[in-house]
Amino acid sequence: MLIDTNANLGPWPFSPLPDYTGPQLATHLAASGIRRALVSHLGAVFLPDPMPANRRLFAAVKRTPALLPVPILNPALRTWPEQLAECRAAAPIRAVKILPNYHNYTLKTRALDEFMAALAAAKLKLILNVRLEDERHKYFALRMKGVPMTAIGGFLRRFPDHHVLLTGIYKPELEKLAPDHTNFSADIAFCEWINTLELLLKKIPANRLMLGTCTPLLSTRAETDKLVRSRVPARTKKLIGSVNARRFFKI
Amino acid sequence: MRIIDVHTHPIFFRSGSKRAEVAKLVARSRALGIVGMVSLGDVLLHGIHPTPTQVSEMNDTNARLQSWHPDFFSSFCFLNPVVGERAVMKEVERCVTKYGFKGIKLEISNNARDACMKPVMEAARRFGLVVLQHSWSMVNLKLRRLHSDPADTAGLARRHPDVKIIMAHLTGCGFRGVLEAKGCDNLYIDTSGGYPEEGLIEYAAEHLGADHVLYGSDLPIRENTVTIGRILGARLSAADKQKMLYGNTARLLNLK
Repeated sequence: MLIDTNANLGPWPFSPLPDYTGPQLATHLAASGIRRALVSHLGAVFLPDPMPANRRLFAAVKRTPALLPVPILNPALRTWPEQLAECRAAAPIRAVKILPNYHNYTLKTRALDEFMAALAAAKLKLILNVRLEDERHKYFALRMKGVPMTAIGGFLRRFPDHHVLLTGIYKPELEKLAPDHTNFSADIAFCEWINTLELLLKKIPANRLMLGTCTPLLSTRAETDKLVRSRVPARTKKLIGSVNARRFFKI
Repeated sequence: MRIIDVHTHPIFFRSGSKRAEVAKLVARSRALGIVGMVSLGDVLLHGIHPTPTQVSEMNDTNARLQSWHPDFFSSFCFLNPVVGERAVMKEVERCVTKYGFKGIKLEISNNARDACMKPVMEAARRFGLVVLQHSWSMVNLKLRRLHSDPADTAGLARRHPDVKIIMAHLTGCGFRGVLEAKGCDNLYIDTSGGYPEEGLIEYAAEHLGADHVLYGSDLPIRENTVTIGRILGARLSAADKQKMLYGNTARLLNLK
């Protein structure tokens, strides 16, 4: 059984991707062996207020227990405390996701002090999304890079008591960040080189890697095969494929 | 399922060149169902404009893989078209007669629109070789002097309808690249390059026909499990997937 820590619902404006309903997404993921998935709504990436998309997310997964909703919040909005409260009232959430590059704030913002304290008080994990797309293939008018590793390093030093999940990180970025910071885990969606996992495991322990597919932006089958068909030991596959996510998110 | 990978760089900046390393790669590839691999060479070892001597050295290295595993590796002759007609013809003839190379590999020495491509295409025609042209959408990268946009590679194919051309890097070419290639019967596209972005395989099959899509990984930059999984997971018939993974390249290069 696999747990996907990086799946999405909703349309994407720049690619003709499948716009799954909740049950359709669960069926699609199950075809690649994924039985549980942490899911966000792509509509929250571009909306000035992420809540309409979060509400669609909660409605879409309500009767699909395989999908665990992860609302996207913007700590730079003055209204995030009431939005967090609304999300917690809507469903039993385990984490929230932030997208600093898409939502136009840096990880130095003072708003994150209160935001991180609120997450800790509510026993919620933070997922920090580094990127959703390869920068080279973005829509021509969308000039946006991934969240810089120097900024993430500063953020990890600033909040040493929080262990966060980084999604969408490139392999060289992960290899650069790992030696200096222990308070993060990472998904493997955007990590790729020949023998990806064997190389990654030389830089970061298996208990800090998690399966993430970035469905539907990336191919679910391709991303799960990166783990399932790799040559790392079965125990390591199990850690990355489900155990780490289960422990981290208390699934 | 049998697989031929049409786009690989088993030796990459001299890494992976030892016989034991190559044997390990072959064994691991076979375990995934890969029965053949087209080695395109260590194409950026000497930068974007290698000398004729450096080009020959790279092709000799590539030929060594083929000699170690003749039932597994096929090779393409890497060229720097900028060095001129005489050097291009000499190198192609050498690689075909001495090593039996199956095609020509073009990287980022120039754009496929440039006049220096004429002798390259003449060599391909004379020796019956397939031409694989690095291609990537230049909308964001702004390096078109050296990198061929899909429009440039499609233009090359339209100017030379009697030469079979592979437009490399489906992911880098994107949806627009597929449309640029549409309607050009001597033009094929390989699935290498970039992360496994959803929907492109199906889009290429819809607009170019499954017969014109070839499995490629761009190894070692990419992982075979991922690049194969992307095709296996596509919303296509098993027959179309088998064509992409094996049949099309086997037919194009006359491989068994």
